[in-house]
Amino acid sequence: MMLRKSVTRSFGAAISGLDRSHLTDGVISRSKRMMLDTLGVGLIGTRTNVYHKALRYSQSFASRDQSQVWGSAEKGLPAQYAAFVNGVAVHSMDFDDTWHPATHPSGAILPAVLALAQVLPQQPTGLDLLLAFNVGIEVQGRLLSFSREALNIPQRFHPPTVVGVMGSAAASAKLLGLTPVQCTHALAIAASFAGSPLANAATQTKPLHMGNAAGRGLEAARLAWMGLEGNPDVLDLESGFGVFFTEYNPSEMADVGGFKWALESQNVAVKLFPAHLGMHWVAEATLAAKAELGRGGESDGRLDDIRSVTLRVPPSKYIDCPYPATEHQARHSYQFNACSALLDDRVTVESFGDALRNRPALRELLSKVRVETPEDNHPSFDKMYCDVVIEMHCGKRFVGRCDTFYGHWRRPLSQEDLEGKFRANASTVLSSEGVEGIVDIVRNMEQATDSSMLRLHLQMTTFIPVKGKSGELQHGLHHGADAIKDLMERRVAHKSAGGDHFVFLVHVALSDALTHMRAAQLADGRSGIRSVWVSVQRKKPSQLTLV
Amino acid sequence: MMISKLQKTTRSVYTMRSVHRSATNALPTLVQHAVVERPAPQETVTASFGRFISGLGAEHLTPTVLQRSKRMVLDSLGVGLLGSTTEVFELALEHCQQMYAPDYISSVYGRTGTKLSPTLAAFVNGVAVHSMDFDDTWHPATHPSGAVLPALLAVSDMMPPNRKPSGLDLLLAFNVGIEIQGRLMRFSNGARNIPKRFHPPSVVGTMGSAAACANLLSLDPSQCSHALAIATSLAGAPMANAATQSKPLHIGNASRLGMEAALLASRGLEASPLILDSVTGVAGFNAFYEDYMPLPLNLDKDKGHSFLIEVQDIAFKRFPAHLGMHWVVDAAASVNKLLVGIHSGTVSASQVKEILLRVPRSKYINRPFPECEHQARHSFQFNACSALLDGEVTTQSFTADAIRRPELAALLSRVRVEHPADNPANFDRMYGEVQVTLDGGDVLSGRCDTFYGHWRNPLTNESLRKKFRSNAGAVLPRKQVEDLIEAVEALDDLQDCTPLLLQLQ
Repeated sequence: MMLRKSVTRSFGAAISGLDRSHLTDGVISRSKRMMLDTLGVGLIGTRTNVYHKALRYSQSFASRDQSQVWGSAEKGLPAQYAAFVNGVAVHSMDFDDTWHPATHPSGAILPAVLALAQVLPQQPTGLDLLLAFNVGIEVQGRLLSFSREALNIPQRFHPPTVVGVMGSAAASAKLLGLTPVQCTHALAIAASFAGSPLANAATQTKPLHMGNAAGRGLEAARLAWMGLEGNPDVLDLESGFGVFFTEYNPSEMADVGGFKWALESQNVAVKLFPAHLGMHWVAEATLAAKAELGRGGESDGRLDDIRSVTLRVPPSKYIDCPYPATEHQARHSYQFNACSALLDDRVTVESFGDALRNRPALRELLSKVRVETPEDNHPSFDKMYCDVVIEMHCGKRFVGRCDTFYGHWRRPLSQEDLEGKFRANASTVLSSEGVEGIVDIVRNMEQATDSSMLRLHLQMTTFIPVKGKSGELQHGLHHGADAIKDLMERRVAHKSAGGDHFVFLVHVALSDALTHMRAAQLADGRSGIRSVWVSVQRKKPSQLTLV
Repeated sequence: MMISKLQKTTRSVYTMRSVHRSATNALPTLVQHAVVERPAPQETVTASFGRFISGLGAEHLTPTVLQRSKRMVLDSLGVGLLGSTTEVFELALEHCQQMYAPDYISSVYGRTGTKLSPTLAAFVNGVAVHSMDFDDTWHPATHPSGAVLPALLAVSDMMPPNRKPSGLDLLLAFNVGIEIQGRLMRFSNGARNIPKRFHPPSVVGTMGSAAACANLLSLDPSQCSHALAIATSLAGAPMANAATQSKPLHIGNASRLGMEAALLASRGLEASPLILDSVTGVAGFNAFYEDYMPLPLNLDKDKGHSFLIEVQDIAFKRFPAHLGMHWVVDAAASVNKLLVGIHSGTVSASQVKEILLRVPRSKYINRPFPECEHQARHSFQFNACSALLDGEVTTQSFTADAIRRPELAALLSRVRVEHPADNPANFDRMYGEVQVTLDGGDVLSGRCDTFYGHWRNPLTNESLRKKFRSNAGAVLPRKQVEDLIEAVEALDDLQDCTPLLLQLQ
């Protein structure tokens, strides 16, 4: 018999009890920044290889209720799979936010919240979304405080698969309006869906972790809503949520009366380039060292004269990768990020592409890198630093150091730079109208009476013109035949509820048999399609331009 | 929707491959691979498992392996069919039907005309198998069949009518799934004992399902490794959800997620090539264990393969409860016989002063006053008292009415539990002892070292069929039940497994 109030039940009560009035200005502004960044990172992530595999897989499921896939004007997926693929998109390039203790908090929550919102009978307001989002973030923060082990860069389980799935369940439970008991069971069920080992970091399977956290958390909340039960003390037990930690001290969630958000006292870090957070210290320290080298009168050509590059970083096996063979490994390699920064004076999205990654100059430089792990350099995102020492053949040494990179919670991005990152990311997929619309909508989110506007803008894609039967066609039509069918059936699609934004999808030159066509046939070139143009425009059909 | 191709191994001593083409939408596109597989450049445990899963052929199945695995298939089907009548199964099925559009591909156990997409069918059928905790148990401890069979049947359902796997293909894939579970559990000493942290089917079951599906889909060695690595990221659920409705979800998920891992691997998705190998500082499969020593699994093409199921048979349950309950029930039943002898046919709580149970220490099956059927299935006390009262424990013992009997509550309040040092929490070494002190001071005791159904004292084929008839008969007509028995009996001779697939609803 339990005499004390169980931790798990206190969480259920808090998730159910928190309401809009609890959201503070600080929390709202921080969480809006996280949302904007997550959307941008997710949009650019829809262009990755791993995303397309996850999407094709998810398209083998169908549902009466459809939730939207970000950056796509097509019909959607079942809510759970929309949350899954959008979560994969967010983490596909390791470009999403990082919190302390270490996890990527937003990627597990926002895809679940948006996917679920779409299938609710009544559209939540912007403030409802913010509340559910923050409940999901908060639960992750609380759970991470249950173990000192969580303070350090992880070694066993990838945190988003542990706390992220719980956060997604909590956020989904909030949005579904579950009772305290149902919220408790949602967490209990989610605990049975949690936990993926770290070894799959630096592979295509790592982004799946985020997709699964979002999708399975949502599923746990829906199962609880249907009446399915788990262990209502799951957070209290070593054999419950405690299995994911070597030491575990759960504590109750304060009653909603005296509630204080973890996000108020601990902000998140926002990445400037798509790689593991630890790489950001390395890149900045490398640039500092290179600046020293430049000041010493050495020109770029002198890179040939480098004898060695020493990186002093914290010990962490999975981000110490001397010769990365794939983009995923490159995103988890101290050495690669230092060399990229040295060669290009910056690390960007392009740094991880095949062309730059496989440069002989980079390979050559990689062979000169040594990694040292000083005792005072802790594998914790709150304490770590990076020293870079460039030693020349002549014996001269140039040193750079980074204690806090730009984007870290101690040195947050300006609003302008945050929006700049979003614009750069989102514009790879959306029209400028979609991009600016989202910036606006998120900026004023707490005032929005209908959150569906966000969804609408996430559909304002710019398609590239595609012709013939080449791989290009497959790329342009990567979402399969249903898209084409949609284009056929609805020359004008998606009118927003009362807004003045329209999305037009236009096709030309399609053969008659197309409605019965299958994607594979399209790709085979047997469809008789000569070419497809799709354009996105605003307001007046007469202004339509074909790209 | 995609046009898909599917391959599977043919029944042949040569690794001849035939290509399946399917019009269904859930199948992956596979690249046909060469007959001779290139060895991986570096010998890792993970790569050896990939080659094993890909390379094992029907010729490796020995008569004992065939016979034992057919018994497991039959029992798993019966338990699953009965499980399709439970509340938790109903919830899982409703969830799938509400969340997803109808997808008429793979059959749901015991529901005529109800079909779902393959992964969802694997999920609900897996839930059915474990819904009453009635499915088989292996040593080291896991429930091996429930994670594998629903996934294989669901995959078979999605293959085109003229390209169904043969019965032997199914048995091969099934045995791959079982074997992988057994091998993985031998990587840890901790796995030998009744678990405390992770529920084993959620760990090794997911891997077994991935391996079995990868074999049935004829993935190449590298894809098989990736299937295991992806499955590792989908594995693992904590023990605390035992004795709740979420425990059956563990088997449903193992079945479904293992299949997902194999399907994703077949699309070319990649994961860590070292997932099974022990790498310090970056946990792979060893994240689920406190001690871990992986060994490669090599397939010698000439020598054949020695399956674990040959040396370690399975335990079949006689009633739907945790395996540990079977020892105390047999011990208590022998005391019941004595009591009935003394008191001419009836047992009443008023005769009893104290009931002492000597059982292993295992927190999650030590429940003095279970409140629901799921807790009752995980309570030494409940099962001992039921057997004392009734002389046996059956499916009916776990109905709400039976659980709430005042007589039973009276007995439960007299139970004391001891954990002798020589009684470890291990299905190979544990025993159950029941000692009843009567009002007059007389002491009656019973002990069980090996219950009927344990691998040291296996059910006869007749008993196994009796259990199957009773389970399957709860949802299927008599004729269909007999047809199923026959189909499983002749499974290795079935050229096409359709007759089996058709009888499940």
